[in-house]
Amino acid sequence: MSNKIKLTVSHAPFWHNGDSVGKMNLNIMLAAMPAVIFGIIQFGVPALGVILLAIASSMFWELIMNFATKRRLSIGDFDAALLGLLFGMMLPATTPWWVVITGALVTIVIGKQIYGGLGANPFNPVLVGLAILMVSWPGYFDFDAALLNYEFSHEALAPLAALKHQGVDVVGFFPILQLVMGKQAGAIGSTFGLGIIIGGIYLILRGYIRWEITISYIAGIIITALIFNLSNAENYAGPMFHLFAGYTLFGAIFLATENSSSPVNLIPMLIYGFFGGFMVILIRNIGAFPDGTVFAILLINLINPLIDYIRPKALGRGVNNA
Amino acid sequence: MIKQPFIGLSQPKIKYDLVEAEPKEPEVIPVPKNILLLLNDSLNSAKITLINKGDQVKKGEKLFLYKESSEHVISSSSGVIKKIESYAGEFGDIKTSLVIETDTKDESVNDFAEHADNLDLEIAARFLKLLPGAPPFETLTDPTKKIHTLVISGADQDLSSTTRQYFLKTASEDLKEGIQILKKITSIPKIVLTVPEGFRVETEISGMQVFNIPSDYPHALPKMIMKEQLQTIVPAGSSCEDTGVCFISSEAVVSLAKACRDKRMNFDKIVCITGKDGVQRRVNATIGTPVANILKHFNIHVNDQDRLIVGGPFKGLATFTIFHPVQAHTDSIIIQDSDSIPHISDSACINCGKCIKICPAKIPVNLLVRQLEANLFEDAAEKFDLESCIECGLCSYVCTAKIPIFQYIRLGKHELLRIKAEAETEDANV
Repeated sequence: MSNKIKLTVSHAPFWHNGDSVGKMNLNIMLAAMPAVIFGIIQFGVPALGVILLAIASSMFWELIMNFATKRRLSIGDFDAALLGLLFGMMLPATTPWWVVITGALVTIVIGKQIYGGLGANPFNPVLVGLAILMVSWPGYFDFDAALLNYEFSHEALAPLAALKHQGVDVVGFFPILQLVMGKQAGAIGSTFGLGIIIGGIYLILRGYIRWEITISYIAGIIITALIFNLSNAENYAGPMFHLFAGYTLFGAIFLATENSSSPVNLIPMLIYGFFGGFMVILIRNIGAFPDGTVFAILLINLINPLIDYIRPKALGRGVNNA
Repeated sequence: MIKQPFIGLSQPKIKYDLVEAEPKEPEVIPVPKNILLLLNDSLNSAKITLINKGDQVKKGEKLFLYKESSEHVISSSSGVIKKIESYAGEFGDIKTSLVIETDTKDESVNDFAEHADNLDLEIAARFLKLLPGAPPFETLTDPTKKIHTLVISGADQDLSSTTRQYFLKTASEDLKEGIQILKKITSIPKIVLTVPEGFRVETEISGMQVFNIPSDYPHALPKMIMKEQLQTIVPAGSSCEDTGVCFISSEAVVSLAKACRDKRMNFDKIVCITGKDGVQRRVNATIGTPVANILKHFNIHVNDQDRLIVGGPFKGLATFTIFHPVQAHTDSIIIQDSDSIPHISDSACINCGKCIKICPAKIPVNLLVRQLEANLFEDAAEKFDLESCIECGLCSYVCTAKIPIFQYIRLGKHELLRIKAEAETEDANV
C-alpha cells in the first residue's frame, strides 16, 4: 500500500463539546466580577491593589512550582489566577502586601501544588491559604480594625463580629436589604450578596458549578439557623441575617463547589452541602470564630472522599449471571 | 460537531441523524481497479498459504489463508491477487490484507446457489456471514449462546449514519421477506424491530414488536435497547448475546432476502460518507472498495493530519490509511479536517463531575479513570465498575479536562481480558 498521506490516528469519540479547564475557570472568574467590581467601587484603589496582587502572586507561585517540580507550565489554564482572585476577594481591602503574597504562597504551594496540582487537592486551596493566615495573623481579619479609616454611609461594623461580641441585638442595625446590597463591612468580594447571587445563577445555568452543593449548603444554613433562632431568639440571630452576612454566600457559590474537594454524586453532594451549612452556623453560634465559613468548608472537604462512596449501583451490577 | 450549549445545566441532547423523507438514491461507485479485502487471520511465514500473489480469483470465491483457517473472505470481484500483507488493526490485532487487481472478465463462482433452496443456519453461517450488513450468523449458530430474542436494528447506533434507516424506508418488502427467512432458519420465538422515534413503519409485520428508539444518542446502542426496551439488564462483564439477545442490522436482513431470491451473494454496501464540509452523501460501493476511491469520486481532498473515521463519531475507528476498505459492517465514513480535530490532553481529572452526570451506566468515571491511568485494571473492574461500561463515549465527549476516558476504558477492558486469559492458562498448567 503506497500511502503518502499521514492521517491523524486517535481514538473515539472524535467529537468533543468544546469545553476546557481554561474556559471553565474564565467563566468562574467572570461570574465573580459583579462582586469584585462592587468591592473595588466600595473600598477603592486599595481593594484593586489587593485583588491584582493576589492574582499576580498566585500565578507567580504557580510558575515557580512548575519549574521546581519540572512539570508542564500550568498558568495557562487560569486556575492559579482564579484561586488568586477568590483569595483576594476574601481579604479586607487594607491587607498589607506581604500578607497577600504569603497567603498566595500557601494557597498555591500548600493548598494545591504539593498534592500534584490541579484536580488533586483534597482541600479548597483558597481556604487553606486563608485558614493559615487567619490563625497566624488574626489581627488582619478583624474587619472592624481593617476598615477603620473608611467612611461608610451605612453601619460600619462587620455584622458577624458584632453579633459575636455584642449579642443578637445588633441584628437590628443590619436590615437584610442593606446586607444584600453590600452595605456591610467585610472582605472585598464577599459583601455584595446580590452580585454573588447573580454570579452563582450564571455558573449554575452554565453548568460550571454543581447546583446541588450550593442549594443544599444554603438550605443547611437556613435550617440550622432557624432551629437555633426558634429555640432561643434572644441568643441566636435569624437565618436571613446569617445567609447574607460575612462569607456565607461566597462560600456557597465559590468555595464549597470547588471541583476537586467536593463530591460528584447526588446524595453525597446534598449531604456535603447541608453539612457545610450546618457547620457554619454551629461555629458562628457556639464556636470561637465570628464567621465559620472557612473552617466549615475545610471540614466538609475532609469528609468528601468518604461520603462520595455513596453512589448509585452501576448498570449490570448485582445482576445474577444468566 | 455538536458544541456545548450555552445553558449547561441540562444534559446535552445529541440527536441521531434521521433519514430524509424521500431518501436519495445512493451514488454508485464503480468497481475500482484494486480492491482490498481484510481477512481476520494473521500471516505466518512458517506455513504455506493456500492463496498466493498472482493467483486468479473469481467473484464470490471464498479465500482462506491456510488449510486449517476458519476465517475467510469472499472476493467481491474477479481479478488477480496483487499483494498479501499484514494489516495492523486495533490493540495490536493483526489481520491480513489482500489486494486484488480487478479485471473485466467477470468470472464468478456461486457455491451458495445449490444450497439456497434448503437454507438453514449452518449454511447461512458458511456462506452468508459476509453479506453487506454483516449478519451475525456465527453468533446464532454458537451452541453456547442461547439466543431467544433477535433485534433487527432499523435505528442507526451512532451518529452520521442513516444507512440502517435507509433500508427501513426503501426496502420494507425485502425486510419483511428477510424476517420471514430469519424466522424460518433460526426458529427464534421473538423478533423485534427498532425504529427511530416518529418513524412510520410502512408495512405491518404480523406479530412483530416495534420499538421506538428515542432520537438522542446513546439510546440506540444495544445495551441501552436491552435496558430501556427489553427491560433486561445485562450483567456487568457479559454481552447482550450472553443474555440471549442478538442484534442484526436492517441492511443484513435485506441482503439476506436478496441473496435468497437471487441465489447469490451481493457485494453492494450502502455507506454514508460525511466530508469535511459536513455534507452527508450516500454511496453504493462494492465491498473492498478503498475509501480513497470514494473520496476521489466526490473530489474530497484529504491532507496530512486529517482524520479518516470508519464508523460514527462516538464509536468509530480512525484509520491510518486512506486505502482502508469498505467492509460488510461499514455503515459510515467521516473525514475530519485537521483544524476541527478536538485537542486531547494528558492532564489529570479535575473532578468536575460532568461524566458522572452523563454516564448512562452510572459508573463512577472520575474514580475509574484514576485507576486506569495507574494501570490498576483489576481494581477498576472490581471496585469501580469498569465492566458496566456500555461504550458510548459520552464521558470523553463532555470531559472538561479533555482526558481520553473512553480510550482508557477500552484499554482497561482489553487488558482485563488478557489478564483473565493469562490466569486461566496458568490454572490449566497447574
